[in-house]
Amino acid sequence: MNPQAVIDQSSAPGAEATEQPAALTFQPNVDIRDVGGEVSLIADIPGANAAGIEVTFEDGVLTMHATVPPREQPGRPIRQEYGIGNYRRSFRLGEGFDASQITADYARGVLTVRVPRLAAVRPRKVEVRAG
Amino acid sequence: MTTFRAGFALPLEELRDEFDRLWTSLTTAPPLHGWGVRPEGVFPAVNVRETADALTVEAELPGLEAADVEISVTGAELMLRGARPQVEPKPAGNGEPAAEQVVWHRRERGTGGFERRISLPVAVDPAGVEARLVDGVLSITCPKAAEAKPRRVEVRSA
Repeated sequence: MNPQAVIDQSSAPGAEATEQPAALTFQPNVDIRDVGGEVSLIADIPGANAAGIEVTFEDGVLTMHATVPPREQPGRPIRQEYGIGNYRRSFRLGEGFDASQITADYARGVLTVRVPRLAAVRPRKVEVRAG
Repeated sequence: MTTFRAGFALPLEELRDEFDRLWTSLTTAPPLHGWGVRPEGVFPAVNVRETADALTVEAELPGLEAADVEISVTGAELMLRGARPQVEPKPAGNGEPAAEQVVWHRRERGTGGFERRISLPVAVDPAGVEARLVDGVLSITCPKAAEAKPRRVEVRSA
């Protein structure tokens, strides 16, 4: 089994450079929480909606992509600290995950993806019996 | 001093290449006042726009509910205050060991309180300020104070 089982090793290969320049794509800020039995990826993607979010898991790489609908932009800008665009980010999770049990929830601009580990690879605590 | 390789047209071609390079670097660079300069530690980032009647302030506050944000307006200053909640998703599966260890492989989102004051270019009418928080995007519409609105002056004919 692949020893580099967990996440940190890679982030966002960003391979596809062929996006249209018109739609900007940003990398969302992400928290990754590991509780042994599952890994949760929590991403800030404000302004999206559930229908425009795509989560895929392929060859050990989890990719989240959100298409953000344009917002009303009245008048002229006088201060601009962030851009509005789509979001995309990938993480290599490695092996030992149960792809069929991945769930994704979107609420209040936050996407939470839960990726459970296969039962066989979950860390187990072995009780030591006193003889 | 540049050494020309051959012919008199080459310097012009080099000049053209130079312009091409310049053009490419300009058109692919981040916008001057844009997303490249989100200041570290300043939360939330805001975009402010102006129409004839109002100023609109938009801020990204993912994870927050309307009740988590306090907005106050005095004269030409807008203040946003609140706290980002600590997200602790519960394990979906049953039978997790109770004393399991939580490991954070990444923590980029940030938590905790924030307060930000934004200077507006003109005074606004505090009574008319409206705010909406949808999908983590806060939009605040601040109607300009009556004295700050553009006034059309009729020219009287003699």
